[in-house]
Amino acid sequence: MVDTLLVISFEELCQVERLNQELIVEVIDYGIAEPVSGDDKNDWMFDTSSVRWVKKAITLYSQLELDWVAVAMIVELLKQKEKLTEENEYLHRRLTRF
Amino acid sequence: MEFKDYYQILGVKEDADLKEIKKAYRKLALKLHPDMQPDSNSDEEFKELVEAYEVLKDPQRRAEYDELKKYGATSHDNFQPPPGWQSNNDFNGAHTGGDFSDFFNSVFGGGFNQGPRSHQADDFSGFSNHGQDAEIEVPVFLEDLFSEAPKTIQFSVPSLENGQIKHVNKTLKVKIPVGVVDSERIRLKGQGGKGQGQGRDGDLYLHIRLVPHPLFDVEGHNLVLTVPVLPWEAALGCKVEVPTLTGKISLNIKPNSQTGQKLRVKGKGLKMKTGVGDMIAVLKIVIPNTSSDEDNVLWQQLAELKHDDPRSQWSKENG
Repeated sequence: MVDTLLVISFEELCQVERLNQELIVEVIDYGIAEPVSGDDKNDWMFDTSSVRWVKKAITLYSQLELDWVAVAMIVELLKQKEKLTEENEYLHRRLTRF
Repeated sequence: MEFKDYYQILGVKEDADLKEIKKAYRKLALKLHPDMQPDSNSDEEFKELVEAYEVLKDPQRRAEYDELKKYGATSHDNFQPPPGWQSNNDFNGAHTGGDFSDFFNSVFGGGFNQGPRSHQADDFSGFSNHGQDAEIEVPVFLEDLFSEAPKTIQFSVPSLENGQIKHVNKTLKVKIPVGVVDSERIRLKGQGGKGQGQGRDGDLYLHIRLVPHPLFDVEGHNLVLTVPVLPWEAALGCKVEVPTLTGKISLNIKPNSQTGQKLRVKGKGLKMKTGVGDMIAVLKIVIPNTSSDEDNVLWQQLAELKHDDPRSQWSKENG
């Protein structure tokens, strides 16, 4: 049986996109990913969705030649959109019950 | 392989300057970006666009491409770089979502060296590369969340072998962790693409998608059950046997209950990391589809009695 994890360490997150730590710290400063535990960056742990958002942010930054403020805004809006889409689907399901 | 006409992809003339190329790219990127059209098949088109821009925005790469274009434009689907061809501009696509075509890789290397807008850590340069992460959607039934049995996952991951990307089929047995909710991603360390050199293997992410249940909806760790009740059950109160995911229970419905009223049943929801969520029973008053003469007589008797006006609020609001 394979071990399952719901978190990823700071060091591992840096390895995902082969990024230097300073850049990841910058991405974190913009709120694109937030540690779920740990006071110091060496102890930081992130939830697994952080990997996806960090990847998304880096792709947006490179492909669309945006600055980090714009990337952070887009990521935040995408998160909100995803949340609203899920909420909408849930409410639609609930409506069909009545 | 097919020769890619990057000018055509960007919709610019061959003598277009950088400004025109940028403008065309930005316009098309906005139109084709997968985040702008998540339901369409624009992914491939967008990848082609990024690839075309990566080549044409760089003067050296563009010059090499123009050379090749003279040589390969007539080869259509049978393009091969000239014998001994080597780009002076080895490319790293790691930070552009670098999933480029065979054509691009054969011309520009598609290697793992530093590229533009790159932020690689020094210790990951050279031939040590983290294997590709992979993500698959895993449909999970609510009942599965109560099962101790592992789930069998079959998937394929891209793996770089002798410079070629190959897909390797894998089968794993996985126990879904307690407390997982819809859309959560579970990480299986080292189960993604194979790493190169000293680089570690990529991870596999299981994107959990709870399969819609015929009876229950899910709100976090709570289950929501719609409970149909007859008008007289709602008026007089009653006990109704209702399903949960772990068996039936008796639900006490108080007199004068209303449609939409919620009754919380502690500990009958989904498992959390610590504890169990609740079940929320939502009442739905249902009028029988058919009624007998006897029913109608009784309804009529009810109608003749004095009741609060359910539309009284309307008359107040309308003055």
